[in-house]
Amino acid sequence: MTGMTPLGAEVPRQLLLYLTPAGSWQLAFYGVPIVLLLLLTFQASENFRVAWVWSLDTWISVFSAPHIWLALLRTLAMSALAVLCCFALAFPVAYVMVTRLSAYDAHIKLAILFAFLSDMVLKTYGWVLFLDQEGILNWILRALAVVPADYDTGLVFTLAATLLGITANLLPFMIFTIYLSLSAVDRDLLLAAYDSGASHLRAFRDITLPLCLPGVLAGGAFVFILSMGSLVEERVLGGGKDPMMGTLIRQTFETRVNWPLGAALTVVLFTVTIATMAIAGWQIKRMRGRT
Amino acid sequence: MRPGRDLGLRGAAAAAADTILSAASVSKAFAALPVLKNIDLDIRRGEFVALVGPSGSGKSTLLRIIGGFETADRGRILIDGVDVTGETPARRPTGMVFQRLALFPHMSMRANIGYPLKLKGLPPPAVAARVGELMALMHLPEHYAGRLPRQLSGGEQQRVALARALALSPSILLLDEPLSALDAKLKKNLQAEIRDLHRKVGVTFLHVTHDLEEAMVLADRICVMRDGEILQYATPGDIYYRPANAFVASFIGEPNLIPVVAIERNDRGFACRLRWGGQASISLDPGQFATGLIVDGALAKPACLMLRPEHVCLSSRAGGEGSLMARVAEIFMKGATTQFRATTASGLTVSFEVQGARSDLARIGEVVPLEWDARAAFVTAVEPS
Repeated sequence: MTGMTPLGAEVPRQLLLYLTPAGSWQLAFYGVPIVLLLLLTFQASENFRVAWVWSLDTWISVFSAPHIWLALLRTLAMSALAVLCCFALAFPVAYVMVTRLSAYDAHIKLAILFAFLSDMVLKTYGWVLFLDQEGILNWILRALAVVPADYDTGLVFTLAATLLGITANLLPFMIFTIYLSLSAVDRDLLLAAYDSGASHLRAFRDITLPLCLPGVLAGGAFVFILSMGSLVEERVLGGGKDPMMGTLIRQTFETRVNWPLGAALTVVLFTVTIATMAIAGWQIKRMRGRT
Repeated sequence: MRPGRDLGLRGAAAAAADTILSAASVSKAFAALPVLKNIDLDIRRGEFVALVGPSGSGKSTLLRIIGGFETADRGRILIDGVDVTGETPARRPTGMVFQRLALFPHMSMRANIGYPLKLKGLPPPAVAARVGELMALMHLPEHYAGRLPRQLSGGEQQRVALARALALSPSILLLDEPLSALDAKLKKNLQAEIRDLHRKVGVTFLHVTHDLEEAMVLADRICVMRDGEILQYATPGDIYYRPANAFVASFIGEPNLIPVVAIERNDRGFACRLRWGGQASISLDPGQFATGLIVDGALAKPACLMLRPEHVCLSSRAGGEGSLMARVAEIFMKGATTQFRATTASGLTVSFEVQGARSDLARIGEVVPLEWDARAAFVTAVEPS
């Protein structure tokens, strides 16, 4: 076993030197803005300008505005649902890529990558065309005559449409992380499980699933974080009736030009996202420790 | 008649009742490329058999077909008289030790060894008892039971893999080159342990390896394969001293293989005319020829005389039957022996080995007379089949 330096032990001076460029970059363009953002929340907005007053007024208004917390809850719920939807769609795709279509997996990866690289706003508008009252989905349903001629799914500009958009846009993250962890599972392990008397289902449950869990969790984290900050999908597909945090923050900064409040909302979103991730991580660790 | 199949059939007739594994006419092709060609193999109960061959010989494929991890295109597999040809690995009385061991990385040593028992539906106390038994058998310290495979040494991982494969007391233990990734010293230790284990548990072992020396150390019988065919299936002694063809002979050590021009009957048996320094001749018993080589008092196919380097030595006299002159080209100190390589006037290279550090026996460039022990010579086919 390689000897690992315990945390807090003496760090070689050379290592500090190597870390300096990356560290200063992080500090200047990540640490400093966050501190500024935090300071901004204690100011006030007067005539669309920031007034340096040092008060808790912004925070008081944040905690006394139920619509903000409703938006936060909605964002959390949407993100959790997006993680579930992405997992449900990505796992079979990744599994088939690794097991059944391994001869074509390079082609499939390329296709997914292209879909991933094409502009997100454009793709999201594509969903509008698909879901619209006179869109492709309704047209197909009517053409198949499974619904009356004036039928409308009514999906466009709803939360469901937003969820669809978020799921579609973030799906590649989940597919790739699960694909990587699945392809790292040695096939001999499954054969060893069969040799031990396991059925295919049992071997999948006992071997494949636990071994690809890190990939599932990493994909889940990607999807969750990106979904918490999503903006385009809600704006294009959601219709703006039930705003999520991203929309709220954008409006506060851009339309209302209330920077202290915008900063406070950002801090709230940031904190809740990190806290949720931490709790989820702790729970998973606890669950895995038990088995 | 292939010599390998010939021996296989005789073995089956002698011990048909005691045959634990019988592979009959097994063929397999991958994308039209044949990897196994009509293989017949019988293994007796409690025997230790090694499948040996270079990579691509089909030995691993045969093992995987026996274990149920691969399906044969044709042929049948019988274990203990039961046809298991179409059965899954889970339903065969076999245990497999994989080349890369395939220990479950997320399970402790205890959970790895106990996994087959747990699947069998044994109650936890019975599983724990059997795991303890197996760990004791494999000399695995009890306080290691909670460790993950990556926290174990290479040798310990091997033993865990063996214990897991033996957990359900299989009729046959299949070993797919489990020692190939280990360093030489650890390999030697584990060979001794596997040999020991075989004696203790009394289970039939089928061990695949590309290393004939390893097979000689371990096995009661060795099945040498090449290009999807069995070249010879015999005891280590027969493989070494009575190889069925030049390929089997060359698979271990560096035998001298001297082309035989013709044979004639004489009072001892046959006189072999050899193509080396002039036309030398050597008298041999009929038993010193590979099976099927002589038909109607003549060679049925191209043959060569095999002389192991340890059976050739420097001669005190020059000329006469069973000796020839050669110029020493190379001398190697091998520790317990000294190896010489010499060239005859006709350009044939002869290597010979003497006990001890004896580089003083000859100098490089010197022409020396060589003689050999004619009783240790063996005439074998140049090409298989």
